[in-house]
Amino acid sequence: MQSSSVSLENIQKDFPILQRTVRDGKPLVYLDNASTTQKPIQVINAISDYYTNHNANIHRAVYALAEEATEAYEATRDKIAKFLNIKNREEVIFVRGTTEGINLVAYAWGRQHIKEGDIIVTTEYEHHSNIVPWQLLTKEKGAKLEYIGVDDNGELLLDQLDSYLKTGKVKLVTFSQMSNVLGTISNTEEIINKCKQAGVKTLIDGAQSVPHMKVDIEKLGCDFFAFSAHKMLGPTGVGILWVRKSVLETMEPFHGGGDMIREVHKYETTWNDLPYKFEAGTPNIADVIGFSAAIDYLTKIGMDTIRKHEIDLTKYALEKMSQIKGITLYGTKDLLKRGGVISFNFHDVHPHDVATIVDRDGIAIRSGHHCAQVLMERLEVAATNRASFYIYNTTADVDKLIKSLEKVAELFKL
Amino acid sequence: MSDPIYTEIIIDEARNAQNEGILENPDISQHDANPMCGDSITLQMKVNDDTISDIKWHGNGCTICKACTSVLTQLIKGKDLTYAKNLKKEEILSELGLEHLIRQSPVRIKCALLSLKTLKLGLYTYLAKKIENSTSFDNLKEEASKLY
Repeated sequence: MQSSSVSLENIQKDFPILQRTVRDGKPLVYLDNASTTQKPIQVINAISDYYTNHNANIHRAVYALAEEATEAYEATRDKIAKFLNIKNREEVIFVRGTTEGINLVAYAWGRQHIKEGDIIVTTEYEHHSNIVPWQLLTKEKGAKLEYIGVDDNGELLLDQLDSYLKTGKVKLVTFSQMSNVLGTISNTEEIINKCKQAGVKTLIDGAQSVPHMKVDIEKLGCDFFAFSAHKMLGPTGVGILWVRKSVLETMEPFHGGGDMIREVHKYETTWNDLPYKFEAGTPNIADVIGFSAAIDYLTKIGMDTIRKHEIDLTKYALEKMSQIKGITLYGTKDLLKRGGVISFNFHDVHPHDVATIVDRDGIAIRSGHHCAQVLMERLEVAATNRASFYIYNTTADVDKLIKSLEKVAELFKL
Repeated sequence: MSDPIYTEIIIDEARNAQNEGILENPDISQHDANPMCGDSITLQMKVNDDTISDIKWHGNGCTICKACTSVLTQLIKGKDLTYAKNLKKEEILSELGLEHLIRQSPVRIKCALLSLKTLKLGLYTYLAKKIENSTSFDNLKEEASKLY
């Protein structure tokens, strides 16, 4: 790994929002990156440049602007393929975000292939977006949804996967590569290999992993992979669904409309080639082009540098936080098994009270169930606080958080 | 250290919340939740001769929610239904010095008023059940929709 000191030192100046103050002149300390990240000026400019100079609909007209827009849009597809080591560009489908990507699979693959009595396996640390679509599908089909449990360290109990696979009824195992609450990094390759041996398809929710570590989809060998642009410096409203070509070819369309067709007659339609068969309607062109700038930005820094920076910051934060009175930290202490996401609670103080108090110091952390109520039940809490880091966060940010959290302990006499 | 919300009065009220528990065979039992933050409470009441003879609450809530729920239950215990029906948010907030929340914190005001919302929902459901005349029922529904 290369040293992060040079490339990350002055990075905050690329992010206009990090220059502003909140709550009566407090400099903003943004620690809710697992929810969404801030955008560098390069991304903001790319969107602005598109609307200022190139705006036209894609894949249709023959005039100059339309060609420019189409080219920029399709170049992003190639960039993403390269970024994640994807061999076939036609496997990369633009969607609104991870949630839509997973729903697309549940609808366009699930309704074709899931039958009564089949089992879909997910985990207890999934985001609601990787639970609810499967509840809808299994209920409709008379299939069953099962969960891989989470141990007290926040890691998956993979023995349970083995017993599910033994039933011979599992058709899909779907899980996040990194938990959005605990930061746990799943044993992704091990799970995929087990499933492959059993002839079971795998879907990876990469919403938390792709922004923070190097991901090689070719090497992983899964069948579906979904992630979102806005959690990796890109705009909201853009996500990627990758589907292995041999699987994609067995799927019916998700939405019907323009761009996804080859020929439409009164009562019959033939479909466009992959991936356009799955991209109905005018897509989010400007934000896809903005996403392209975000990938350039991350590539320039290097994903290994980002991962190292976050390991260092998480180590620093965990050490300092563990000394605060009355605090409970969740998740594994093994830094190689977790990302820069720290969930915590204070004795009897509700997370909303904690978040309100630190907000007054200009610090943005998340409090609530983080769209992971199944995991909250498992942890036996109603909610947690969560601080999550990205490339622009520093040890100074952590120090401010610690000072503010000490105030909580003092106010509530912990 | 002083804090505009987390005063000693509020922290103490929440930590030593009154009337927390479960009532056997309540006449009114109403649950409500705040989906944004996960605050979730159940209010239970016994009604004798149009008077709230006993009240208990249970659930999960933040400090503001708990303190306000505690105050609300103390305000209406032993009072008649008309008093409870007309209870204003300002009366609860002023007990805790939280009037400023109405202006300053559109998010946290919901925590403060969850118990009041739950109370009114429970009361109006109870009263609606007792009314057979459908015009009065519609009036009541309209009144209920204008609570805030």
